[in-house]
Amino acid sequence: RATNRTLKNNSCFQDTSAPRITVKGRVTDGQSPLPGVTVREKGTNKGVITDGEGVFTITVKSNATLEFSQVGLNTVYEAVAGRTSLSVTLEAATKGLNEVVVTALGIRREAKTLTFSAQKLDGAKLNEARDANFVNSLSGKVAGVAITQSASGPGGASRVVLRGNRSIQGNNNALFVVDGVAIDNSTPDQLGSDFGGYNGSDGAANINPDDIESVNIMKGAAAAALYGSRAANGAIIITTKKGKSGSTSLEYNGGVAVENPFVLPKFQNTYGQGNGGVYAANASGSWGSDTTTYADNVKSFFRSALTLNNAVAVTGGNEKTQGYISYANNRIEGIVPGNDLKRHTVNLRLNTQLSKRFSTDAKLTYVNQEIDNKPRGGEENGLIIDLYKVPRSVSADQLKNYETTNASTGQPVPLYWIPSSSIYMNPYWMANRTSYDETRNRIMALGSARYEITPWLSLQGRYTLDRYADKILNTYNNGTLLFAQPGGSMTVGFRDVTERNADVLLSGHNNLGRQLTITYNLGASDLVRKNSYSATTANGLNIANKFDLLYASARSVTTSSVDRDLQSIYGSANIAFKDYLFLDVSGRNDWSSTLPKPYSFFYPSVGLSAIISDIATLPSWVTFGKVRASYTRVGNDADPYLLLQTYTYEEGGSSGYIRRDATKAIGDLKPEQTTAWEAGLEWRFFNSRIGLDVTLYKTNSVNQLLRLALAPASGFDDQYINAGNIQNKGIELTLNGTPIKKEHFQWDVTLNYAVNTNKVISLSPDIKQAVLGGNSFGRTATPIVKEGGAYGDLYATRWARDANGNFLVDDNGKPIGTSTTAYIGNYNPKYTLGLTNTFTYKNWSLSFLIDGKVGGVMTSGTEATMAFDGTAAYTTKYRDGAWVLPAVVQSSKEVNEKAIDAENFWTTVSGGRYSWGEFFVYDATNFRIRELSLGYHFRLKPNGIFKAAKVSFVGRNVLFLYRGSAKLDIPGIGKRKMNFDPDVNLGAGNFQGIEFGNLPTTRSLGLNLKLSF
Amino acid sequence: CTKDFDSKNINPVKVVEITPQELPFLFSKAEAAASYTGGDYQVAQNLFADLYAQYFATTATYFPSDRYVMRFDWVRTHWTNHYTQTVPQLQTIFAYTDKDSPEQALAHIIWAFAFQRLTDYYGPVPYFQAGQPLTSIPYDPQDEIYDDLFKHLDTAVTILAANTSAKPFGSFDLIYGGDAAKWLKFANTLRLRLALRVSMVDPSRGKTEAEKAVAAGVMTTTADDALMKKSATVTTDGNGLSTIAGWNEFRMSAAMESMLRGYKDPRMPVYFQPAIKTGEYHGVRNGLTAAQLNIQQNTNDYNSNVGTRWMGWSAADNKWVNIYGTSQNILHCAEAYFLRAEGALNGWDMGDDARQLYETGIAMSMRQWGITDEAAIAAYVSSTDTAIAPGDQQHSPAVTKALIKWAASEELQREQIGTQKWLALYPDGFEAWAEVRRSGYPHLYEVVQIDNADIPAGTAIHRIPFIELEKQTNGAAVEKATTLLKGPDNASTLLWWDVKE
Repeated sequence: RATNRTLKNNSCFQDTSAPRITVKGRVTDGQSPLPGVTVREKGTNKGVITDGEGVFTITVKSNATLEFSQVGLNTVYEAVAGRTSLSVTLEAATKGLNEVVVTALGIRREAKTLTFSAQKLDGAKLNEARDANFVNSLSGKVAGVAITQSASGPGGASRVVLRGNRSIQGNNNALFVVDGVAIDNSTPDQLGSDFGGYNGSDGAANINPDDIESVNIMKGAAAAALYGSRAANGAIIITTKKGKSGSTSLEYNGGVAVENPFVLPKFQNTYGQGNGGVYAANASGSWGSDTTTYADNVKSFFRSALTLNNAVAVTGGNEKTQGYISYANNRIEGIVPGNDLKRHTVNLRLNTQLSKRFSTDAKLTYVNQEIDNKPRGGEENGLIIDLYKVPRSVSADQLKNYETTNASTGQPVPLYWIPSSSIYMNPYWMANRTSYDETRNRIMALGSARYEITPWLSLQGRYTLDRYADKILNTYNNGTLLFAQPGGSMTVGFRDVTERNADVLLSGHNNLGRQLTITYNLGASDLVRKNSYSATTANGLNIANKFDLLYASARSVTTSSVDRDLQSIYGSANIAFKDYLFLDVSGRNDWSSTLPKPYSFFYPSVGLSAIISDIATLPSWVTFGKVRASYTRVGNDADPYLLLQTYTYEEGGSSGYIRRDATKAIGDLKPEQTTAWEAGLEWRFFNSRIGLDVTLYKTNSVNQLLRLALAPASGFDDQYINAGNIQNKGIELTLNGTPIKKEHFQWDVTLNYAVNTNKVISLSPDIKQAVLGGNSFGRTATPIVKEGGAYGDLYATRWARDANGNFLVDDNGKPIGTSTTAYIGNYNPKYTLGLTNTFTYKNWSLSFLIDGKVGGVMTSGTEATMAFDGTAAYTTKYRDGAWVLPAVVQSSKEVNEKAIDAENFWTTVSGGRYSWGEFFVYDATNFRIRELSLGYHFRLKPNGIFKAAKVSFVGRNVLFLYRGSAKLDIPGIGKRKMNFDPDVNLGAGNFQGIEFGNLPTTRSLGLNLKLSF
Repeated sequence: CTKDFDSKNINPVKVVEITPQELPFLFSKAEAAASYTGGDYQVAQNLFADLYAQYFATTATYFPSDRYVMRFDWVRTHWTNHYTQTVPQLQTIFAYTDKDSPEQALAHIIWAFAFQRLTDYYGPVPYFQAGQPLTSIPYDPQDEIYDDLFKHLDTAVTILAANTSAKPFGSFDLIYGGDAAKWLKFANTLRLRLALRVSMVDPSRGKTEAEKAVAAGVMTTTADDALMKKSATVTTDGNGLSTIAGWNEFRMSAAMESMLRGYKDPRMPVYFQPAIKTGEYHGVRNGLTAAQLNIQQNTNDYNSNVGTRWMGWSAADNKWVNIYGTSQNILHCAEAYFLRAEGALNGWDMGDDARQLYETGIAMSMRQWGITDEAAIAAYVSSTDTAIAPGDQQHSPAVTKALIKWAASEELQREQIGTQKWLALYPDGFEAWAEVRRSGYPHLYEVVQIDNADIPAGTAIHRIPFIELEKQTNGAAVEKATTLLKGPDNASTLLWWDVKE
């Protein structure tokens, strides 16, 4: 940049009378020729482009200065000084300053020209300390990205929310884009209540992290206006690797890791099965006598799970053709015995430069994934609740004896330590005699051709297909409570998802005068999405435990279908003034088949950025300074089939039933709208040793499509309406620096910080609240959206208080619960922090990521269950004695004098399955070492077999640095520590903040080896 | 290229147009939804009316409704199902069929049957504007609702009397297979039920309607009984009680035990089955605390589950087996006899004398449940056995002093009719709870613990308060509706017809 400034000054003194000469030259990157480089006479509009051999010819004044530029490379200025032959080398842009990012529609842009916030991650940061779902490895690395995992073991869906939740009933997940094309990341069948069930998998988890070149996270709607509606939640833009010309190389990345439960509840190990301090064979709880207990009966259920990841990639090519082929194999065990994930990913990429002007890009990815024995989450006969309910006096051996044989049929019969449960079973039975297996075959194909009409105008056509077929087989052996009729039960489901996109894009750039250049894109696309699902349940099998539909004694079928079409035209322009002032405008018009006539909606965006460090003369320690602002509107269509009143056919009766659906259709459906403002700063100091990126944003989502309750007497439970205004405001900050940079030692540090404030400004004129996640049967708490409240507010039964705030008890000294539910907290963190430190010393590198969430609450139905059963460690206090709660007696208004024992207290407030949520709500604040990696780069001989080798020790979820405690300070008990991981939720839908029978998260420790040949 | 957008946006797995082909399916739905199945049966009926009628007592520690705690998120099922599963289907039939058609008559009867069940929970409910797509639906006074229910029955009876050989909806009518003559008796019996309900608050209306019903012909034999066909294979459409009784969340009540065992009632092994652990018939008091429920004697295996027509026990698999296909009890001739017996005591023309009607009612109930030993029935009718102390963990006394053998005083006779009707109505907790409130009979136990501050100790629940969902979605109407009540909007306020001191 210093040279640039010098030249700019020099240009004032150019001799206008110099003779014109023809200069011929070649541009390379040091090895290979660089086609497509713009060669321009400085200070004029005159320019040419290098050909396929990197060769150019231009006629200029003999004293001219030539500017060589290409996106992604440092611009070089070369004085002609009378020479007719030049050889120029362009180097890749140095980090930060001229960094190139991939933005909407795969358009590469210099980061400095962006008018919105984008944060880039190198692919290598995602494939070392791995997670079975690569999405989880984004946690803590990017400011403002909130990731929650679902409690379903390996392959479970994850929820990725950027800049807060904005949609009440729709999807809040970020859009995933691979090589310029959005992929399906639907998360079907997420648990919407603590009743329980199985969570479906998501689409993003199928991405093989080894294939990722880089990830660019565009957090705001601004960045993604050109992707259309689905990017209103922000976009995660993944660029995968492609072949390079030159020598063929082979890379291997392998890892082995062992996973164990990260945090387990604390159990008491004093009292055994029984009630009132006395052993009782039929008791489900552990309120019995002081007896022999088994501290390990829960822990021994879990296994040390082994994870093996192996990936190879071969790249190679010449100037005309480059190829990339990779294969990855993931074998991931869950900590629940029998729960495994096996995945094969094959990826092929072929790039050709057929002529100077015509190039193609083709990619084919095939994923085969099998998940066996997904554990059932939630309350009703969920695996974890079954396990934690085991009385403390039941040994692991007794527990493992989970079945006997029915002498007359030879079929297994479950054994349980109490005879009469109708809900809970031996967890080993659930692990061994029920199963939920999911098979997915997925193909993602991309074909793209690009033709350069003129050096400044090109046309691209592209076709992509993302298609997968899932088969889900769910079986319950004969004798499984709740779920199996005589003979057993099975459901087999088939899901077929197709997403096909065809688009054309015309891209060009022109100089509009001496100091003004314009880059523009015009495009059109057609996106078709189809989804069909059918499941057949045979609840009852004529031959017990023969799990094929053939044996069904009763069959029932459910089907669903989605077919939608979105047609769009769009355009964008980026106008640069003097390479330091940039104006972005974009507009898009969509026609969606899910809307009523005229199906159409339009949304624009505008943005401005200025490189202050180029405009003004700043102190020398300021390397780079930029300010930016943008405004975006994003429209959104709706799910299909909402316009016409529908009736549902149900099985049963004479030949079936038909009933009008209780949701009132919306014939005049309008598209949702999100408006987003953002402004930011990007500064680098001391030769880029310190970098600061700050973004302020505000988004308002209005006209949301809501399903709001109607007075049922109208004949409808709810109706679709367009209403609401959800506001998110926040700050994102990324600070990075290199505090120490010596010859052999370097310390890099990155801090991410994000705070988001959400407010429900309005809901609808008539309805002032709605339940999130669709279920009103909250067993511990219910997420409710209320006008004036915030997204994620949880409501639950509380400990009743009098007007002075004193706790109320009944005549027996027992706590009294409120008759209606009240606010107990919000599930979203107040702010999030991520701190990455990387130390490199000679060949060693040490890196760790501290991930923190501050604020937010989570209610635990698991804790409530353990309190009710007397298995939790904190239930030992006041068992043999009793205590008088400092409270007021509701009936007499006198001070309470009645003592209460632990059993009476905990069974009252936990109620078993439907608890008073306030007693089990925890401050979800936590800090942890999310990732740790210690690596060694081997020094290799220049001509050896290996070009590079690195071995590292890696860990995920290494340890908790801090964990929050219960919100309610129970007199005499205190605040109990949170003994679960608040990062995990029942499902990845909007029903959040509730833990009930969640599978524990895992700590993963392992070794990783990277080799290049 | 948007020309196929409209056709693309029609859901292929749904019905979007109602033609004559679909109407019978709608009737099936309305009819089935007016009683319940599955989890809906539990939260709409079993956790409230069935407990408050003291047919069953809760054994699950986590269900507080037996201690009179209102769980509005559960009880609302009765409300939402009624308005969204019964009413819209009936209104579609009203709109799509001829006014004088037998199909329309059946819809009128189901309308009256279903709305009575609803209004008897709450009192005022949205009625005259029910099913209108309004943002606020006003509540109507219970007396006006009852008046209109009689009118619906008038219409139905007029149509059916002229079409006794018609087969409206054919096999889609899950109760009578479209037998218009039987529906006529059903309508008259329902009128008789309504007449007795209003008989204390409006004696003259009660008399008129009851005499009109009997004159037009009420149910007289078990062949007239209304039972709803249920599916043995579609578990979501099984018998309501069969669906939920395997969940081990309730058992026979101590009140039932006191009477059935004391009276040596032949129906005992039909209604209930012996406890798994003891092989004996035992029941549990209503309103036990969680701690009391944890005591062995109060737990499931020591008490009686419903009878084997609803629930089987597989000892080999150590598991309850649902008998989904058992028909659901809707309305029976035995009830008609007890209603007439009470009417006769009121001095109405019920076609026979009170004692004869009472004793025939008992016999019809026995026959309805498959008890064919006429000698045993005769012995029961003249029995002087008394209800007994059930020997439960609470050491409860006998629940009632009522005898079976026809008593001398009118008040005792009324108690006998109420007691035997209660026994006969099993397992219809909706009707039993309503009649316990109206008539005061039979005498039942106080619940052991009341956890609802609105219900004074020693008293019983009289009403379900307006539900939370209504306050959120129909708030202004609920506020107005409270002025239609005889007291505050709580569970102690008496309904319009609940006037007995």
